[in-house]
Amino acid sequence: MRLKRTILAAILWGSVGLATLSSGAAAQGLFANLPRNEILILENPEGTIKNAGWFNIWAINAGSQSNGLQQAALDTLWYIDPNRGLDGVWQNSLAADKPQYNADFTEMTVKLRPGIYWSDGVEFTAADVVHTVTTQIKHKNMRWSAALALNVEAVEAPDPYSVHFKLKKPNSRFHALFTVRWNAVWIMPKHVFEKVEDPLKFDFNKPVSLGAYVLHTFDPDGRWYIWRLREDWQRTTLARYGTPGPKYLAYVDPGPPDKRVIAQMNHELDVIHDVAPEGMFTLAKQSKSSVAWFKGFPYAHPDPTLPALIFNGQNELFKSRDVRWALALLIDIKAVSMASYRGAATISAIGIPPTGRHPESYHEPLQDWLASFELDTGKHKIKPYDRGIGQQIAEMLRPSMGDQIPSDPKAIAAAFGMGWWKADAGAAAELLEKAGFKKVGANWQTPDGKPFTVRVVVEGEARPVMTRAGSMIVEQWRRAGIDAKVDVAQGTLVTRRAAGDFDTLISWSVETWGGHQDLSFFLDSWHSQFVAPAGTPQPPRNWQRWSHPDLDKVIEEIRKIGFDDPRGIELGREYVKIAVREMPTIPLMSYNVFTVMDTTYWTGYPTAADPYTDPVPNWANSRAMFVKLKPKS
Amino acid sequence: MLATLRDLMIYNPEFRIGAILLGLVAGMAALSLASPYAPLDTFVVAPDLPPSFAHPFGTTSRGQDVFWQLTFAIRNTLTFGIVVAVLSRLLSLAIGLLAGYKGGWVDRVLMAINDTFIAIPLFPILVLFYFVLRDAMSWAALAIIMALLGWAYDARLIRALALSLKTREFTYTGVFSGMTTRELLVREHLPYVMPIVFATTMNNMNWSIGLEVTLSVLGFTDINSPTVGSMIYWANQHTALVAGVWWWIAFPVILLVALFIGLFLLAVSMNEHIDPRSRLRRMGAEGGA
Amino acid sequence: MRFYATYLAQRLGQFLLVVFIGINLTYLITHLTPIDPVEQSIAAVTSFGNTSPEAIGAMRQSLRELYGLTGAPHEQYLAFWRRIATADFGPSLSAFPTPVSTLIARALPWTIGLLATATLLTWVLGNLLGGLAGYYQNKTSLKVLAIIAMGLHPVPYYIVAFVLLVTFGYLWPLLPIAGGKAMNLGDQLSLEIVLSILKHSILPALSLLLVGLGGWFLGMRSLVSNIVSEDYVVYAELAGVDHRRILTSYVMRNALLPQVTGLALSLGAIFNGAIITEQVFGYPGVGSLLVSGVYAGDYGLVLGVATVSIIGVSTAVLIIDLLYPLLDPRVRTG
Repeated sequence: MRLKRTILAAILWGSVGLATLSSGAAAQGLFANLPRNEILILENPEGTIKNAGWFNIWAINAGSQSNGLQQAALDTLWYIDPNRGLDGVWQNSLAADKPQYNADFTEMTVKLRPGIYWSDGVEFTAADVVHTVTTQIKHKNMRWSAALALNVEAVEAPDPYSVHFKLKKPNSRFHALFTVRWNAVWIMPKHVFEKVEDPLKFDFNKPVSLGAYVLHTFDPDGRWYIWRLREDWQRTTLARYGTPGPKYLAYVDPGPPDKRVIAQMNHELDVIHDVAPEGMFTLAKQSKSSVAWFKGFPYAHPDPTLPALIFNGQNELFKSRDVRWALALLIDIKAVSMASYRGAATISAIGIPPTGRHPESYHEPLQDWLASFELDTGKHKIKPYDRGIGQQIAEMLRPSMGDQIPSDPKAIAAAFGMGWWKADAGAAAELLEKAGFKKVGANWQTPDGKPFTVRVVVEGEARPVMTRAGSMIVEQWRRAGIDAKVDVAQGTLVTRRAAGDFDTLISWSVETWGGHQDLSFFLDSWHSQFVAPAGTPQPPRNWQRWSHPDLDKVIEEIRKIGFDDPRGIELGREYVKIAVREMPTIPLMSYNVFTVMDTTYWTGYPTAADPYTDPVPNWANSRAMFVKLKPKS
Repeated sequence: MLATLRDLMIYNPEFRIGAILLGLVAGMAALSLASPYAPLDTFVVAPDLPPSFAHPFGTTSRGQDVFWQLTFAIRNTLTFGIVVAVLSRLLSLAIGLLAGYKGGWVDRVLMAINDTFIAIPLFPILVLFYFVLRDAMSWAALAIIMALLGWAYDARLIRALALSLKTREFTYTGVFSGMTTRELLVREHLPYVMPIVFATTMNNMNWSIGLEVTLSVLGFTDINSPTVGSMIYWANQHTALVAGVWWWIAFPVILLVALFIGLFLLAVSMNEHIDPRSRLRRMGAEGGA
Repeated sequence: MRFYATYLAQRLGQFLLVVFIGINLTYLITHLTPIDPVEQSIAAVTSFGNTSPEAIGAMRQSLRELYGLTGAPHEQYLAFWRRIATADFGPSLSAFPTPVSTLIARALPWTIGLLATATLLTWVLGNLLGGLAGYYQNKTSLKVLAIIAMGLHPVPYYIVAFVLLVTFGYLWPLLPIAGGKAMNLGDQLSLEIVLSILKHSILPALSLLLVGLGGWFLGMRSLVSNIVSEDYVVYAELAGVDHRRILTSYVMRNALLPQVTGLALSLGAIFNGAIITEQVFGYPGVGSLLVSGVYAGDYGLVLGVATVSIIGVSTAVLIIDLLYPLLDPRVRTG
């Protein structure tokens, strides 16, 4: 019996010892040797970075971009804010002024801001810009090599504070390459890279900063990166907006959505990048200190990005416009909105994000045209557009959400969108028959007598909302007699999207500035000149690998007019009409991101009430947040 | 056989509990035939309702009734376990009996391969399969792969038994009367081996179902077919736990645990039944009390 | 001694066989696939931008060799083994240009540390308690323990880990649920780091312990309860030998032998559990690496982890086998 008691005692003392040890470790908290109230903790949605020590963002590899590198440490000529901006949407960052083009858009001159320094004390000058461009043209495997090589004939620095570009052909949007919308061509330090033999094999560890923060420490296993405010932050472009609040920024991988919610409830994650809608609702209910973009439903920040059902235009089955339209008419967007966002989606029938200032230029003026748009099913003509769907979604939600749902039609349109296509199984069947498909029993067959099989590629756990939208669409198609299935691609979605290895997929080939009506950011890449042959990788962003002569004309005309020319909006509407007739992708809704911010340690986050920038923390534009955040007193 | 079962029911509480648990789970699976909803349809009921009279296990955030969804899920999960068990039993019987009866180099070669399969970590192999097959990794493909990987441990048990049968008198009689190896093994040895086959079936099902659940929770299987694993997968996708929709995870987990414990207890009690020494002790003890 | 030598040769042969068959299995699987892993991997690298045709050509060559797709079948097969033998799995595609072997080398100490500690702890604790339960069969506390062990044992790792995560990370937030140590700790070995690593490993280790404990407990209990009725034990009891001595010297010692063999046999399964546990707790080992490799479509990484796992587990089994003679004199002397 003594033995037993000895063993029990050993176990007991063992656990007591372990508990003491761990409570001792608990005192050191989340961070060792750093005061929690000086750190802003943000989620890096890239997750755990396998290539943790790689900071050379100009080389193509899987080093992290949004681990703070592009938000806090790098800079470029201009920024366009997707929301209102700190002092307007357009920000001259390293540039002192807007770009100056000559009359036929073959030359661009940039004046640079003096008095800006790299974190190692070297002054930033035009030579850095020139080096950034020439290095990437010389080494053609770098991130922006293709774009720069395609455009730049010559680049020179007439003096330390100006850069002169000669372009190969007229391009009124050349400056867009250096204008941050999520990212842009970042300027590299000449004094570091000129000493490097092969810039593709250089890891840039530890990075020299042009932004207000420098790398403090990072996890070799890639879970976290900590950045420290520079002593000389006043010699960076952020300084003109005020003093940055957080002394440290920690970009971390908090794990899957439920762990993110738990982390914020424990006040260990100040800014969540995105969670499932249910996680958002939970935080809104249970975490008094959590805030989101909208104070109430639908909470999420609408990014100027348009998730859509993207057809592979090079797949025989989807070459017919009638088939694409038939599949669109088999979608009940209300159910998709409920299944994906629990109703917190802003729907759009047209290929432009229904966010920011876009509705006033595109969605509203086109309502009458949409309502009168006619579709020939082969048997008769239908008018598929239903203006009232946004309103109907609001009414569906009202019983459970009550006062959170606005009643003003304008507010409803802003939150839930305007109209969409009426689900119409009869018309869809007629369209499929017109395209030579046959229904045998309950199931559709292709013109050559095989089952009509459609795989919808989704990303899975990384993007729960999009995965659910895809699953709902599959369910609706399946009920209509199509052999539809979800294909969870996880991280290989990016690969398969680029390689054209899919029937259809949920993704986005439409992204805009948000703060500016110009559409060239995505539209230029829809020109037929960029469509890769089947089986070869498609350059971004025309994932549908689709083109149209009429659209080519529109794109070519946009290239010849100024960035702020009002004709640009007219041409944008032309694009919308072509895309509605042809349905190369089925636009669904804006990408609403459930970014949730904890006010326990910091206040002054951007929200709909004070929309000075996008809170979504992987956007390089989110740096505006650092100067507005104040420690909670 | 029936008498054996009756004995087990009376004298062995482990068997009793195991049989009851398993009966519950099987009953649940059988109920899927009566389900008012199709297994793949979503938003057929109001979402996120807690357990109530109308929805005894509540409803999911995808608008599915947890109870009825679970009937399909457990049916698929059980069927999966049974298919893997039957296929891998055939393998382990063939290999175990052959190795035990033949002995010599046949035995050594077979057992060397056998021990290899026991020692290899199977999870990375399964993941590798998923990785190359992707959406071709259907329910049936997974079952076949698991069967091919899951026979080794039990083949060793069967071999040990076959080894002892080899020296029995009826084996010699069979050999002298001119039976082929196959006839001898199937007609004479198989009946003696059957009890152990049943017992290992339970363990094998535990193993295969546990791996299937894990794989699908991680998203490494076909999420289109409802299994208990894919139910938990979808619940995680909707952060059900932190969202307070605990019933979406709790009931599948409870049912799974009941299934695992049920199978395990049956295996334990059958093993004990096979080993007459401990059975006699138990019966004696019970009888004496 | 000759008996011992035979034993060693046998074990070594088995080890080589396991590695051989295991690695051939991964080779076979990679050749069953309908997908061309090379083109898939190349697309992964080139999708980030414009890569020169020469670079793609070179990459294609190196990947084809790695996946054993060049030359005649027997050449393919030999090239594959050459790569394996030099632990050269090529560059990781999701962490280009870092080699897969670097990633695995970084993750391996975490897994080995967690696994070795948890396995040893589980085995010792399970056998001790199981031995006691088998010897003192009428103790209520030990009977309760047996019921708990029976209830926990058959539940898969994932479920147990998940329940622990919810309980101690969410309902009663006591312990960290992600990472291997606190942030900003640096690399210098210090008490602080050791404590932080310990604290972060409690939940993952506990989940391995809870699932593993039952098996050893139940196995040991039934072994001991059988031995207890053996003649020599009964005789010792009648002769008035101290209970403690009977338990340790007569009973446990004999019952331990099959449990050591059992440990060697179950290492593969325990390793499976560790992979799952790491994934659930975001622990930085090869399990997390494997899962992220699958999510990212990183072929070389997945193949590398699978191969290293097979070799690692077999080596551990071999070590146990080689230590076995120390416990069992019959093997030592023949």
